[in-house]
Amino acid sequence: MPGGIAFEFPQLYFTGLWLTIQISVLGLLGALVLGTLVAVLRVSPIAPLGWIGAAYVEFFRNTPLVALLFFLFLGLPLIGLRFSTDTFENIFRAAAVGMGLYHGAYVAEVVRGGLLGVDRGQIEAARSLGLSYAQMLRYVQLPQTFRSVIPPLGNIGIALVKNTSLASTIGVAELLYAAEIVESRTFRAEEAFIAATLLYLVLTIPLGIAVNALERRMLVAR
Amino acid sequence: MRPDTWPMFLNPAIWGFLFEGLRETIYIALASVAVSFPVGLLFALGRLSRRRWMRWPSTFYIEGVRALPVLLLIAYFGIKGSALFRPIFGQDFELPLFWAGVLGLSMYTSAVLAEIIRAGIVSLPRGQSEAARALGLSHAQTMRSVILPQALRLMVPAMMAQLTTVIKDTSLVGTIGVFELLRQGRTIYTQFFNPVEVLLIVATVYFVICFALSRASRRFELGYTPRAARIKIQDIALRDQAA
Repeated sequence: MPGGIAFEFPQLYFTGLWLTIQISVLGLLGALVLGTLVAVLRVSPIAPLGWIGAAYVEFFRNTPLVALLFFLFLGLPLIGLRFSTDTFENIFRAAAVGMGLYHGAYVAEVVRGGLLGVDRGQIEAARSLGLSYAQMLRYVQLPQTFRSVIPPLGNIGIALVKNTSLASTIGVAELLYAAEIVESRTFRAEEAFIAATLLYLVLTIPLGIAVNALERRMLVAR
Repeated sequence: MRPDTWPMFLNPAIWGFLFEGLRETIYIALASVAVSFPVGLLFALGRLSRRRWMRWPSTFYIEGVRALPVLLLIAYFGIKGSALFRPIFGQDFELPLFWAGVLGLSMYTSAVLAEIIRAGIVSLPRGQSEAARALGLSHAQTMRSVILPQALRLMVPAMMAQLTTVIKDTSLVGTIGVFELLRQGRTIYTQFFNPVEVLLIVATVYFVICFALSRASRRFELGYTPRAARIKIQDIALRDQAA
């Protein structure tokens, strides 16, 4: 049976899968919060805030995620910042924070597109009715954005799940790490990697189907 | 940050060392694009084919590979690349790690390029291919002289944007032991114990290259891109550029 090797080393593979899921969920939550904040900064009428948002997005979109992970894991402790005194906890948190920071830039791009897609007349109408800028964002602009950004955000979620594999480079024992360990113990590379491949597909394919279904439903709704 | 960690960058040898890494990074990126463009084109055409035996395997390849982490592909070829080619090149064949990395990276990039090319072809008005067929051109001739020249021109910005992703992803090839930019940086900071400074410099180099490329890609809008195509391409780009 392809992938059967996962049941020979359940400790490695299923703990790895669980870590992959944990990092994905934490990273995605972080990316959503951070990305929405940065998007609001970018469309805000105060120019310097817009520059800060743009700098954030461009920096993280144009540097590799691995470099960021190494920075969080090796660099930060040297300047006195450590996520946890426990080594394993530290790399796990570094990975989750790295995922959030990096994908936050992509989320920001999507949400910004959604915010700009809201009809300007509505914004002007809300402001002239006496809503403050914050109230307008809260009650008019953001609610309309969330609907249209769900499918592209799903795509970013898929990318994020795949990118959690990079956490293996800083020593987080997630799925790919499990495959590499099993390969080095058994020399059965095909089996070891196919098991990890199947477990990744278990996560990404349903997500992809869900995103496609949502996309189709949104098209009908428009 | 310690005060003694910056002066080492006055030494030109350090910059030479990083430059070697940068050269390797650029070679990996160029080789991967050169391999994945023709492969991606083939799979895009395969997926659009009317023959099931071409369409299904192409769809399977594209969707399957895009659903996988690039690092998994690179790690696999890093370990088993040599063994895969031994039946062809003989028992002593050793696949250089450089090419193992290029192989993993190209496999992924070709699937992404296939989707980008397909989006471009599909977005062309149907009248183009219908007119060509009505004029008596065969399917192959229609593709070659009517559809592809237009579609590929639409795709130039998206492909250049994909190149920035490839450059970022070359940093993954370092994990299997190719001495590209990030890997050279890691060697330096394990010697001098200054990861903050080195990683900032390395990140800046990546940033300058990728930022310049993504800026340039916006200039390369050749002709008019239909709105539907632009949206579709943006979606693909988002999913696959993040990788």
